[in-house]
Amino acid sequence: MYFWKCWRDTRSFFVVFLIIAAIVMPVAAVVSLGSHLVEDFGTSAFLNTFGLILMAVPLGLGAIGASHEFDEKTAQFLFTKPRSRAYFVWMGWAVGFAELLAVAAVNFLAGWATLSHYSKNPFHSTLYGSMTAQNFLDPLIFCIWAYCLTYSLTVLLRNGLKGLGASMAILFGLPFFAAAVRWRWHIDLPLVPGLPFGGLPLAISNIIWVLIAMLFVFAAQLVVERTEI
Amino acid sequence: MNELAIESKDLAKTYGSIRAVGGINLTVPRGAIYGFLGRNGAGKTTTIKMLLGLTRPTAGAAQVFGMNVSTERMAILRRTAFVSEKKTLYPSLTPTELVRFSRGFYPTWSDSAVEKYARLLEIPMKQRFEKLSNGNQTKVWLLLALSQGADLLILDEPTTALDPVSVDQLLHVLAEDGLDRGCTVFFSSHQLEEVERIAEYAGVVDHGKLLMESRLDDIKSEFRLITAAGNSLSAQTSAQVLSVAVEGNFYRYVVTKDADSFAAGLSQNGATITNVATLSLREIFLQLVRKEQ
Repeated sequence: MYFWKCWRDTRSFFVVFLIIAAIVMPVAAVVSLGSHLVEDFGTSAFLNTFGLILMAVPLGLGAIGASHEFDEKTAQFLFTKPRSRAYFVWMGWAVGFAELLAVAAVNFLAGWATLSHYSKNPFHSTLYGSMTAQNFLDPLIFCIWAYCLTYSLTVLLRNGLKGLGASMAILFGLPFFAAAVRWRWHIDLPLVPGLPFGGLPLAISNIIWVLIAMLFVFAAQLVVERTEI
Repeated sequence: MNELAIESKDLAKTYGSIRAVGGINLTVPRGAIYGFLGRNGAGKTTTIKMLLGLTRPTAGAAQVFGMNVSTERMAILRRTAFVSEKKTLYPSLTPTELVRFSRGFYPTWSDSAVEKYARLLEIPMKQRFEKLSNGNQTKVWLLLALSQGADLLILDEPTTALDPVSVDQLLHVLAEDGLDRGCTVFFSSHQLEEVERIAEYAGVVDHGKLLMESRLDDIKSEFRLITAAGNSLSAQTSAQVLSVAVEGNFYRYVVTKDADSFAAGLSQNGATITNVATLSLREIFLQLVRKEQ
């Protein structure tokens, strides 16, 4: 049904990035075998690939997921199905979100297994040393934020490219906005989604970021529910 | 049980200063085939959108199977199939995939109906929607609507882009299969011959107003073209006289309601009634719309 349709629309993109997420670290390790690169730079490579993948995937999934559904012409077909408009908004979001988490999980596990296998220092020791859980949580929060923002803007603008463009403008403009607020009013706003709010504990900041991200989708739902087709 | 499939009371919709629908009172009996006639921009599609909850009425109310369109949308949509005026669907899906997509929404869905109508309408089920001809795209919409097992079919210009053979097949399906299942068919059109062929009831809308609504036979029996010969006969239109055409001493009156008494009145004024004829739906429609203008 609608779940299947959302999966069908995003599966190619998802599978491509799932493969990238799964092979990037093992391939890099095999290529640099014997050069000590994995031992010396493995952890930073791991963190960087994790961050990069989680930057690209939410933008793509957010823009693809809802690009056709809420288009003016196909909306007549979709919104005359006996389901609430909220169902369509959240189902599309949920499918993309699940794919996003799957890519993140696969990339994390593949990187972990690779480092554990090739590194002289077992990965679990570095995880609690130079790498912390927060190193992975920050890009994940950013990724959830970017996904929710892109998805919501795509729904609202009824166009994947417009949604992607608007989302990227906001994401790139946010640090400048935060810097301007800090300069003008001396209020400390985080420069990037995922960073802590002022003196708030990290866990609370993360929850606030996720709640803000969910508010975007909720706002999109409210608009879609009130839109006249 | 409510005997009406659709009922509206002063249903109106305005977009800013533009009045798309200005207080329509529809009564569509259950199990009937109802032709909703009107020119382009008359307010047909907006009315249909309000019935389906796609657009909110500015004023008035409407009920489908006794359920309020504003508050009981889900229950209405479960029993209603719709063919949009814009025959756009997801371009990358094939008709088979569109069937798969739609099936899960309706417990009354019939796969045997899919097979039957796909064969009857000769739809290429494995071709992507965007690659289909306009006619076949329209047929896919019809296939999805007919297979739904709905109690009410709302079809907005369903024969757009269809060739005459397909139109014939569709009208046959609507008239035979629809009535067999006791399904109500509400279809908008400006193809008067199609309406005349299968509809039992008709409503004529123009400039957002319902000019007339009745059983089709009653409509036809109500209107008469009276040709009279005489001097200085009245050439004024009225509620009863829709139009008057004067050619020399001949006056051609299009009369609604009580044509016999009108003809008798003309005779009393010295006119000679040369002919009293019935009108086709097309002629009636044109007379009504011209009078409204």
